[in-house]
Amino acid sequence: MMQDLLAYPAVQAGVAPFVAALVVVLLLQRARLAGLAVPAAFFTTYAMVEGLSLTPLTVTHKLALLAALAPVAGVLADFAFRPTRVGVVALALAAAAGALWMVWPVLQQKAPSEAWLLGASALVSVAALVAVFEGSLRGAAVRAGAAGLALGLGVGAAAIIGASAKYGSLGLSLGAASGAFLLPQMIMGRGIPGGTTYTLPIALTAGLVTAGAMVIAEVPWYAALALALVPAAACLPIPQRAPIWLQAVIASLYGFAVAAAACWLAWPQRFS
Amino acid sequence: MMKLAIGLAAAMLPLAAAAEPESYTIDPYHTVPYFEVDHLGFATMRGRFDRATGKLTIDHAAKTGSIDITIPTATVNTGDTDRGSRPRTRDEHLKNADFFNVSEFPTITYKSTKVVFKGDNPATVEGNMTLLGVTKPVTLTVERWKCGPDIRTQGKRYQCGGNATGSFKRSEFGMKYGLPTAIGDEVKLWMSFYGFKD
Repeated sequence: MMQDLLAYPAVQAGVAPFVAALVVVLLLQRARLAGLAVPAAFFTTYAMVEGLSLTPLTVTHKLALLAALAPVAGVLADFAFRPTRVGVVALALAAAAGALWMVWPVLQQKAPSEAWLLGASALVSVAALVAVFEGSLRGAAVRAGAAGLALGLGVGAAAIIGASAKYGSLGLSLGAASGAFLLPQMIMGRGIPGGTTYTLPIALTAGLVTAGAMVIAEVPWYAALALALVPAAACLPIPQRAPIWLQAVIASLYGFAVAAAACWLAWPQRFS
Repeated sequence: MMKLAIGLAAAMLPLAAAAEPESYTIDPYHTVPYFEVDHLGFATMRGRFDRATGKLTIDHAAKTGSIDITIPTATVNTGDTDRGSRPRTRDEHLKNADFFNVSEFPTITYKSTKVVFKGDNPATVEGNMTLLGVTKPVTLTVERWKCGPDIRTQGKRYQCGGNATGSFKRSEFGMKYGLPTAIGDEVKLWMSFYGFKD
């Protein structure tokens, strides 16, 4: 009975990661570690759809390794360094390098023109996500949570349309994590500091899930680039005097609009 | 004495030649691996790979042999090619990350480690299958085996052919999508194969 419940896709990609993330947010928010909700949610889903093995070192296993490194780097950045523009650029470049390492074995097997297109799209989208999250949303907990919610759900939906339920589940788990990060803020009416502990894992992991769904499933490169615009949409003006819950709803709607457009682009034969 | 030795050696040459292993090239158009798996606990779904290449050797005298087969994963085919109102077909889904992941792993390979004979014919093949970058032992049972001239070439070409069956658990190779209830873990194999003598 329990096994059947845990095998249900909505539990694997939604309920279980949301509960794991919510527990982390509630327990660790005072320690300014609420951002660890992202790896908690992601690895809850990852364990259920992929298991815990990291060998052989496939694209998916590399994704898990990088997703595990992101919160470590995020905590270090928050507690050991002051945020600077140089730091943002360094994180974006490091994230792009990680994405290239992840997808390289697959790019090598593709025709040069396709490899260049997919490789460049992966690098640009991952670097852009990290740069915008780190540069513009690091100190804006509500907007960051809204961007993560829309991005995770968008990446998940696009991956499912692109023929990978596994990558879809991984993407949706990021949406669940961000929902769990956002919900207490909406209820309590105050922001929960996420910092780089939240923004780096959500940006990097979402970018890598998109890159993976692009090279080993069929998410088109232009849909991946469109998804990278989601956090920028969450930076659009919102009424600052409005209650937190309303700010979260408005910022989420901005993100959802862009994510929906990306999913529309991901539907096959839009441009063929 | 020397002449006798040379004479004996010359007389034994044909025997030696006959005892050499014969090498065959797999016929890619008639070597077809089929698979079947439980679907939702209700029905059995079947599919195939449209191509397979490789080599087989057999030494009937020594009762030994080997087989080495490469299957291009992109040829997976369950007959579902029309998207209809869906974003992707089942065959497209099978080619992606949830199943055969053809972009990252373009081939499945099977290399025998031991061929066990029953009488004059091979009966079981023990070997290693590499799927999704994971190598595990898989044993094939040779249900049918025959060697002889190919009637399509008026007997000019010599061939061996037959059928083999086997099974494996896909989870052991890291293919875990749909487990444990939606799509069965045990995959049954059935394949026809032909080899043309080199």
